[in-house]
Amino acid sequence: MSGTGSQVDVVGLTKMFGSLRAVDDLTFSVRPGAVTGFLGPNGSGKTTTLRCILGLLRPTSGSTTIGGLRYHDLPDPVGTVGASLEASGFHPGRSARAHLQVMALGARIDPARVDQMLAQVGLTEVGDKRVGGYSLGMRQRLALAAALLGDPGVLLLDEPANGLDPAGIAWLRGFLRALASEGRTVLISSHVLSEVQQTVDEVVLLARGRLVRQGRLEDLDTGPREVLVRTPEPEKLRDALAAAALTVLGVDGSGRLRVTGGTPEVVGHVAFEAGVELHELAAETSRLESVFLELTEGDRG
Amino acid sequence: MTALVRSELRKITSTRLWWALLIGALLFSAIQSVANALVAGMEAGPGTPAMAGLGTSEAVRAVYPSAMFTGTYIFALVLGITGMTGEYRYQTVTATFLVSPRRSRVVVAKLLAHAAMGVLYGLAGLVVVLVAGGVTMTIRGYGFGLGADRLWATMGLAVLAVAIWAVLGIGVGTLIRNQVAAVVTGVAITFLVEPLVTYLLAAADLDSLVRWLPSNASSALMSPGNTLLEYLDWWVGGLVLLCYGVVLAALGVLISVRRDVS
Repeated sequence: MSGTGSQVDVVGLTKMFGSLRAVDDLTFSVRPGAVTGFLGPNGSGKTTTLRCILGLLRPTSGSTTIGGLRYHDLPDPVGTVGASLEASGFHPGRSARAHLQVMALGARIDPARVDQMLAQVGLTEVGDKRVGGYSLGMRQRLALAAALLGDPGVLLLDEPANGLDPAGIAWLRGFLRALASEGRTVLISSHVLSEVQQTVDEVVLLARGRLVRQGRLEDLDTGPREVLVRTPEPEKLRDALAAAALTVLGVDGSGRLRVTGGTPEVVGHVAFEAGVELHELAAETSRLESVFLELTEGDRG
Repeated sequence: MTALVRSELRKITSTRLWWALLIGALLFSAIQSVANALVAGMEAGPGTPAMAGLGTSEAVRAVYPSAMFTGTYIFALVLGITGMTGEYRYQTVTATFLVSPRRSRVVVAKLLAHAAMGVLYGLAGLVVVLVAGGVTMTIRGYGFGLGADRLWATMGLAVLAVAIWAVLGIGVGTLIRNQVAAVVTGVAITFLVEPLVTYLLAAADLDSLVRWLPSNASSALMSPGNTLLEYLDWWVGGLVLLCYGVVLAALGVLISVRRDVS
């Protein structure tokens, strides 16, 4: 099983919590040999989806499979799928080493792997200390060690970069890329696009439990660069921009325009010439970034 | 299953709670044992018969196995309860169910692992009462009394009873996920509700029902041949107690364990 990942398939997944539709008819696949970013604002259903894949939540409808099997039916779950779900799933009074030993014993994994994993994530020196005293970054490393313990072909990591310092994020990036290049299936969730943008090959974008977009990062992230500009006089600015041969992709209710065809300097100059007051002029963003921004903004209401 | 039981044992021994509870159990067992050795033979009050004197087998059994059980069983119960509810409290249940997605197997492994811990508690408790109670009896001039009638059999049954109380704890914890609620419920039922129910049933002349309650089933297991109350046979008492634990755990699997883990 090790080294070669299986495809993860989510088909028509819906999960209701009471009357709340946390995941809504979600369908996507995660392929081996790539790092897939599972992106969406907080509360968009990422963790719920991961917990359904891992058999921790019972889907209201739809199915989730790993290599065609439900998690429950995997003959060697820990050796097939490694998961880290949140940095708080540790007993504060238990050491990192003991936490891994508990898992290794239950999954019949060679106890020598425990020390190897501690070394791999850089926790060897604190491995015998109680997790209660760990920083968030150390817990993230332990969660990663736990996910890797069974040398699984599929890795499902929930917000793995959360709490890591920039050096830690860089380390994680290289590490995940190496795992994917070995042919493993790697899915990492994040609510911060920039955190994973340089790591992922593919993107599954989620909002309010629904799939917004899925595809290769390069396909989603190409196209014209956009400038975001906010003004109390959107109509006037739109006309001025059109006259200057710039394309206005959209205007929202708060007077924000998405513009392509020019840099912020050009847009700013057009507004200045037309005598339009500006409240905001954002640097170029990629199409993916602007989609993501809209989602997060919309989420804040 | 062996792997899961070993995993559960590592879980228990890798935090400090198990030996905090063990120290409590040993302390209470020692105090109970010394107290039983001191009051043996005393007049209980005017008109009531004296307690069995230290020379008797009954008194020796009170100083060793009975004292150990009285001092230990509630700690074994709490160990069992926290063994299950701690998983939810610290969300380690996620890792547990990832390792074993078949959740009922986890509960069975916990029942076995905690029964083993109960045996350990019982044996450690026996060592302590043999020293504390034995020394007290020796000071009173009666010696250790190790040749007392049915002493060793009763000690074995006392260890078994402690183990079953740990199983009972898993049952309670499986049914009630919240740690504080489960511990309070378990202890309150044992110390308040059961004695009250016993009293009420006795008052209503329903003595035949009283003996089926957990504590009385437990006493039956502990004190074979006790004629004071109309207890069940010792082995029936043990089975009844075990059934309480297993039935609670089974109900917990059906009602609580299958629920979503988020």
